[in-house]
Amino acid sequence: MQFTRVDLLEKMLPLISSRLHMNTSLSEYYLDLTHFFDPVRSQYNANDIIKKLVPLAKEGDRVVGITDLDLFIPVLSYIFGQAYLGGSAALVSGHRLENKRYGLVNDPQMYADRLLKCVLHELGHAFGLIHCHKPGCVMVSTTYVEEMDQKSDRFCGKCLSELSRRSSLGTSS
Amino acid sequence: MDNNLSILIVDDELSVRDSLSNWFIEDGYSVDTAEDAKVALKKIEAFNFHIILVDIKLPGMDGLELNRRIKSINEETIVIIMTAFASVDSAVEALKDGAYDYICKPFDPDAVTHIIRNASKNIQLSHENLSLQERIKSLVNVEDIIGGSDSILQVLEQVRVVAETDSTVIITGDSGTGKELFAKAIHMNSPRRFFPMVTVHCGAIAENLMESELFGHERGAFTGAQYARKGKFEMADGATLFLDEISTISIKMQIELLRVLESKHFTRVGGNRELKSDFRVICATNRDLKSMVDAGEFREDLYYRLNVFTIDIPPLRERVEDIKLLAQHFVKMYAEQMNRATTHVGKRAMNALENYPFPGNVRELENLIERAIVIGTGDSVRLKDLPFDRVLTKPTWESIQEMEHHHIVSILDKYDWNISRSAKALGVDRVTLYSKIKKYQIEKSK
Repeated sequence: MQFTRVDLLEKMLPLISSRLHMNTSLSEYYLDLTHFFDPVRSQYNANDIIKKLVPLAKEGDRVVGITDLDLFIPVLSYIFGQAYLGGSAALVSGHRLENKRYGLVNDPQMYADRLLKCVLHELGHAFGLIHCHKPGCVMVSTTYVEEMDQKSDRFCGKCLSELSRRSSLGTSS
Repeated sequence: MDNNLSILIVDDELSVRDSLSNWFIEDGYSVDTAEDAKVALKKIEAFNFHIILVDIKLPGMDGLELNRRIKSINEETIVIIMTAFASVDSAVEALKDGAYDYICKPFDPDAVTHIIRNASKNIQLSHENLSLQERIKSLVNVEDIIGGSDSILQVLEQVRVVAETDSTVIITGDSGTGKELFAKAIHMNSPRRFFPMVTVHCGAIAENLMESELFGHERGAFTGAQYARKGKFEMADGATLFLDEISTISIKMQIELLRVLESKHFTRVGGNRELKSDFRVICATNRDLKSMVDAGEFREDLYYRLNVFTIDIPPLRERVEDIKLLAQHFVKMYAEQMNRATTHVGKRAMNALENYPFPGNVRELENLIERAIVIGTGDSVRLKDLPFDRVLTKPTWESIQEMEHHHIVSILDKYDWNISRSAKALGVDRVTLYSKIKKYQIEKSK
């Protein structure tokens, strides 16, 4: 899936488990992404990639693909992540989460925080949660990184109980 | 943002439809899609979508024509045109045909989020606007004023007739007859209804403050005037000025008021600038202005200036048939407000109300019912829930037997049908009381 900082994901895993109250596991997956590249946009089609992730999820599990590539969906100029609402797969890109993209000094911790929020947000969608309007909740919709920095990496009480209700049949991996 | 909104996406590209619907579903909207104008129109006719995103280039009927068709079906529907950079001119054309906005493909996620949020706010505001307008209409609809007596129906007819004009109106009537309500009814049914009714309670304002209250004042006009302030005349520009208790204003203010009423020009206290205001005057009084004129307490010229149309609200004691309607109205209103099960006024309580002279008029009746709902427990207002002394009610019976019957009923009600206590109060034994109850076929009121 072309993601170089696997060590970061290893550190993130216990946090994801703790936020979701579920078991999680990490595995590497090789996927040739050249077919998903759009030369006009110089970006990768998230809609097509995510379809490849669906078969990876076992019954009741959710799978989230994490990549460094710049993702798009046909109608939007870019996305941070994508998920099938109530589906089994989600996809997150770290490409637009780094400060250096915006001409700012790089901040690895900030990058890690943003990536964690994106992963939790997309997994939330995969478990059927829609956007939340409670300030600070990780399910708040964000379309640029500064906005993402305003929210926490936690689900609000309402989203958490909805998550627990919806996830009672399965676990995330 | 209102997530109960429904969105229809009209685009011939499946990937666009899927991507956008997924994006909006994550936001909690209810989303449907159509691949061309024909399918879209069928769906629009069957369901009322709040927002419709239309691609400008569609097979068959194009987005511009579809926009026009949507607007002819429901002008309120928000249409957002999706376009490529190359067709911005066409998108602008769509705006002229009533489209809400346009957005260039591929969208910036932030831009699409904002445009939908703004459209949602727009829809919410227009819904709020409609509901507020309805509420204003329902506040004082002439038809909603309670009363079925000939005298009140005559008053309502006068209100209807005078509301459409711009004439000055004097409303007379005893205290508590609802003069301000009738003034509101005139205002709310007049062409000025979209402006406020500015009320001045003349009797409640100290004489030395009345001038600045009506005319406003400039900064530094007097000690304590730290800021310039608009007066009621200015505030009532385009609206209705309601002068309650007009009879209480001083002779000096009467002269000033007459001058303003005639010219509609005035200056603020401490100011030089002449201001103009277009207002309609409705005034109210519980005193007879003509006798005040005769007694030299009210200026004759002002009286004739005000006395274009007079509406006299009859006191409640002169329209006994309205008591029942009003009482039922107040029971319903206060029972709802206080979440009580009270649905009606009991027979004996109603009889008492209808025989009470109501010196405080409708206001007093309203207070009586409110109090009865507070202290009452059953589904009806009972005689014992009413505070006035039963001596005040006019007995309608003549024979000793009728008197005995009613007295027993009142004692039973007083002691909540406790037979022992009632018998003791009446000075008879329980058996006698039972036989009297049987004799007069008295039943516990519900």
